[in-house]
Amino acid sequence: MKKLILAIATISLVISCGKSKKNENTATEETTKEQVVNVYTHRHYEPDQNIFKMFEDKTGIKVKVINASADELIQKMKMEGKQSPADVLITVDAGRLSRAKDEGLLQSIESEVLEKNIPAHLQDVDNQWFGLTKRARIIAYAKDRVKPEDLSSYEALVDEKWKGKILVRSSANIYNQSLMASIIANDGEEAAKTWAEGIVANMARSPKGSDRDQVKAVVAGEGDIAIVNSYYIGKMLNSPDAEEVKTAQQIGLFFPNQEDRGTHINVSGAGVAKYAPNKENAIQFIEFLIGKEAQQVFTEANYEYPVLESVEPVKDIQAWGDFKEDTLGLNKLGENNKKAVLIFDAAGWK
Amino acid sequence: MLTINALSKSFDKGKSYALENVTFNLKAGQVCAIVGESGSGKTTLVRLIAGLERPDNGSITMNEKVIASLDKFVQPEKRKIGLVFQEYALFPHLTILENVLYGISKVKNKKEKAQEMLDLVGLSGMEKRYPHQLSGGQQQRVALARALAPEPSLLILDEPFSNLDTMLRTQLRNEVFDIIKKTEVTVLFVTHDTQDALSVADEILILQKGKVIQKDVAENLYVKPNTLYVASLFGNTVHINKNLQNAFRCPLKEDCCHAIRNEKIIVSQSSTEADCEYITAAKVIKKIPLGNATQLVLKLESGEQLTVMTQDQNIADTIYVGFNSKDILEFDQEL
Amino acid sequence: MQQAGNNNKAFSLKTRIKRLKRDINKWSVFTLAIVFFLALPIIFIGVELFAGPGETWGHIVDYLLLDYIWNSLYLVLVCSILVLLLGVSSAWFVSRYDFLFRKQMEWLLILPLAIPSYIVGYAYAGFFDYGGSMDLLFRQLGLEFMRIDIMNRAGLAFVLSISLFPYVYVSARAFFLNQANNLLEASKMLGVGELKTFFKLMLPLARPAIVAGLVLVLMEVLNDYGAAKYYGVNTFTTGIFRSWFSLEEPQTAVYLSALLICFIFALILFEKWQVRKIKFTSSKTNSNQIQRKRPKGAMKWLIFSVVFLPILLGFILPVAQLIYWAVITASTVFDMEFIMISLQSFAIAIASAVITVFFALVLIYFSKWSTLTTIKNISRVGVLGYAIPGAVIAIGIMIPTLALDKWLINILGNFGIDSGLIINGTLLALFYAYAVRFLAVAYNPIDSTALKVDNSIPDSSKVLGVGNLKTFFKIDFPLIKTGVFSAVILVFIDVMKELPLTLILKPYHIDTLAVKAFEYASDEMVMEASIPSLFIIFTAMIPVIFLNKLLIKK
Repeated sequence: MKKLILAIATISLVISCGKSKKNENTATEETTKEQVVNVYTHRHYEPDQNIFKMFEDKTGIKVKVINASADELIQKMKMEGKQSPADVLITVDAGRLSRAKDEGLLQSIESEVLEKNIPAHLQDVDNQWFGLTKRARIIAYAKDRVKPEDLSSYEALVDEKWKGKILVRSSANIYNQSLMASIIANDGEEAAKTWAEGIVANMARSPKGSDRDQVKAVVAGEGDIAIVNSYYIGKMLNSPDAEEVKTAQQIGLFFPNQEDRGTHINVSGAGVAKYAPNKENAIQFIEFLIGKEAQQVFTEANYEYPVLESVEPVKDIQAWGDFKEDTLGLNKLGENNKKAVLIFDAAGWK
Repeated sequence: MLTINALSKSFDKGKSYALENVTFNLKAGQVCAIVGESGSGKTTLVRLIAGLERPDNGSITMNEKVIASLDKFVQPEKRKIGLVFQEYALFPHLTILENVLYGISKVKNKKEKAQEMLDLVGLSGMEKRYPHQLSGGQQQRVALARALAPEPSLLILDEPFSNLDTMLRTQLRNEVFDIIKKTEVTVLFVTHDTQDALSVADEILILQKGKVIQKDVAENLYVKPNTLYVASLFGNTVHINKNLQNAFRCPLKEDCCHAIRNEKIIVSQSSTEADCEYITAAKVIKKIPLGNATQLVLKLESGEQLTVMTQDQNIADTIYVGFNSKDILEFDQEL
Repeated sequence: MQQAGNNNKAFSLKTRIKRLKRDINKWSVFTLAIVFFLALPIIFIGVELFAGPGETWGHIVDYLLLDYIWNSLYLVLVCSILVLLLGVSSAWFVSRYDFLFRKQMEWLLILPLAIPSYIVGYAYAGFFDYGGSMDLLFRQLGLEFMRIDIMNRAGLAFVLSISLFPYVYVSARAFFLNQANNLLEASKMLGVGELKTFFKLMLPLARPAIVAGLVLVLMEVLNDYGAAKYYGVNTFTTGIFRSWFSLEEPQTAVYLSALLICFIFALILFEKWQVRKIKFTSSKTNSNQIQRKRPKGAMKWLIFSVVFLPILLGFILPVAQLIYWAVITASTVFDMEFIMISLQSFAIAIASAVITVFFALVLIYFSKWSTLTTIKNISRVGVLGYAIPGAVIAIGIMIPTLALDKWLINILGNFGIDSGLIINGTLLALFYAYAVRFLAVAYNPIDSTALKVDNSIPDSSKVLGVGNLKTFFKIDFPLIKTGVFSAVILVFIDVMKELPLTLILKPYHIDTLAVKAFEYASDEMVMEASIPSLFIIFTAMIPVIFLNKLLIKK
């Protein structure tokens, strides 16, 4: 009986706790005057917390965060509709941002700072979203087995000579989907399909694991080359695990398609939500993210390429040298995303 | 005091009936035994009266108030019925005293009342014990004390002694009913044992396959049973089928069922000695001494087999058996 | 003839309606309301089915469906075998024999439950990876060629089995400890050998208990998302996420969910069918404890290894890997915030466990009191949530809660109050979702202990003039306490580990350890994910040990 009373007490405690949370939430609405910005973000990076902290210290605007995958956040915003508390949506790829735009979840904003500082191909034509950082999808190769001269473009990877040598992760991954979307945009759907089939035929193993796992598999000799994002190599080189550092050191980086359109890049970006209750704060927040301080943190802590040209990439990245990037409008990535997934499935790219 | 009218209950939506059209009534202060085999619907009847099941048809009236019918149902907790289960159903986490106090928490001097009940069942001094520390007989008496404490107007005992061995059973039965007599409560006593019923009940109700076969005082059940089944419940009975009829050359009514009680069959050494209307010769196939009597398995002239009892010690190989027409039991139908 | 006429009337429509009117009581109404409340998300998902499949359904059928079915079947089959081997053998040995560290191992065997299976997956991948501990060991031994690749279908089956086998272990051991002694003695008296006793007697008798545990394992296997995705195995659940999010077609995802649910129903029906076939297990708990044998010589070591192996694989190895990672990343990851997040996770988990158990109790007892037999069957519908992936439930909950919120906002708006979202994005929605998802976890242990209480006990209470509710508090609850506490603990652990649902529904500024671990892991910072993972494990370990105490007392 005593335990029962205890249980009931806990329930009521919890419910009252829930209620107080509720109050807090309604308070959120009221304290709009008290300055908050509600951020839905897919960037689960520790350094981001520091950037948010810096923003709070500088402006006195409190940053409230919901972390989840962009897909889930978009679903959430769709369902919340006009009542959505979201001010800013941050994703780690442009495809999802343009999808959010198509779903009518974002709004156009006017900001000279953003307009001026972000290169045109890294922002939405209607000013609904803006790139924050760049990452290149590069070819990592085993220094001891592959000569960089043998590499040229993504398209060239379907060559017979790479049979059983290519490592790449699952097509469920958004970076692969975006890469495919860019190939569809550049080469057309038919060519993209042939390309996917060619890559599948050359795969060293059935796709699995993360980008880091692909790099490790190259060093382990399972294959010779891997298609991965640039910043993972940077992270591995600075890993707390000595073995990982050693592994990354045996890897060379190759930027494909330097002779033609340039290496496929993607951005992590942000947009202001259609029904943002704190629109002004949201704009201020995004402006801060492409400011010098924030950009510095992005590149230093996460080995990403800054969008702000005045900020130098961190040393590790500089060592890989400059490269020509594909200036395809990133809107295309979103438009072609579904097609890309369908092609992957049809080609048997798991 | 209790009136059951056309009560029916089915557990498979009318395909078969656990109780079918049961009608009877009970006078206040009476002890009525319900006798039936397992599966005869005794327990269902008890649960319906106690309010633990709901009737599909018919009604139950107690003290002039309908407590269950098609459109009325009084919750078990409002019925003031005492119920003692076969498995005692004591609350295992409560002491004996707490068990007895359970049903009288709102009574004024509940402590005294509970103590009084425990004294009545002879368990004073055991108040602080838990049920699992008691013997089966003691547990049964606690269950009785608990059921009697709220002074129910009807007490139902559902096979209360069937978990006990024979010796203890008789003793406890007598004790329990001595206690009950003191309280003057109306009792419904469910049992499958005719001896139990005969020894304590004012009236006996026979239940078979969900139907009431007969309800009467003990003597009548013996003398004028309604069916062969009832007859055989109260003593060994021989069914006089067509073959036996021919063997004894006794003319009997068509479309009826006849039987003779074993003890009414007369055994004699010669045909003249026997004082009976119908008689036939028989060969003794087997003698089974049973102490005070001997059981004989006979083969009649016609080839029929018959088992009879005799007190006679010296039995010849061929004897005569017979009976009188006044002892023949006659039933409407073979059941 | 007259009687027959009378009884035909007893089941005519008119009398049936009359009886329905008599028998419908508040408990029936409450039960229906609660079942409806708990089934609401599922109903909303079900309604989507009528919208027809999305455009890409044909595409899925052409290219992927076979793969999903085949992989899911493979996982069900292989995991069943592994889980049975690990769970039943260890349960039998710890309840039948006495050997070195038996007492410790008895509860250590439950601990794998404390680790989310996707984290076990990460740990094993890291362990066998290039540059992982196993790889380094092989290199030291000059066995470079021996690199074991665990990231495949078989590896996934292994990882899931090793982290889920305790469900079978717990239910099998409870059976062996409670029921087995008399039978064992009888078997011994008949001169039947040890092996034969086990295979011919104990195993068939324990089957319903074992299968009940197995069904839980298989539901978890079919619902796994994290590990399957990481290991590159396409299953129904990864397919649901893919069609929902990558193909942007919720309807297609709903169709896949419906298929998955059919799959799981088949499993549940199988369990029901085989439990019904075997009725002898309902016998009351046997109070005398099993007499443990002391094995000798080689046998001793054999038994020790059989019992130790699952502990080593399911707990020690993954935790060791996590601790290693935690040590090398501690400086960058750990801060005081973790203590706060741990407390939050703990509070959320305990609160939702209590709420879920409350619903389970209400459902079990209300339906018992509601005299309508159909209601009793309907109440089982409330348990279906366990068969549905967390992400799907989350969406199913957002639809009605948002509708309700909008309605409330309108009403309050009329009074000039700007309330914002009241349910959605608050703990209420989260608790609701957990209750829907984990009701079965609470329902089963409570239901099985409630079955052990003979009906005549609460019946006596009612006849003694005490109503349903009071009877429950004074009689039923004290008698089913252990079941209730087991239920609280099991739900607690599940909530601690839960991910997709929490990700979608959690309020602002409330983080759970599972969310934290996932954030790192999804960004390929598996090493950094080790610290929140370890926190989950240690928070969940305490109640696991407590649960074990309860089970032994029982």
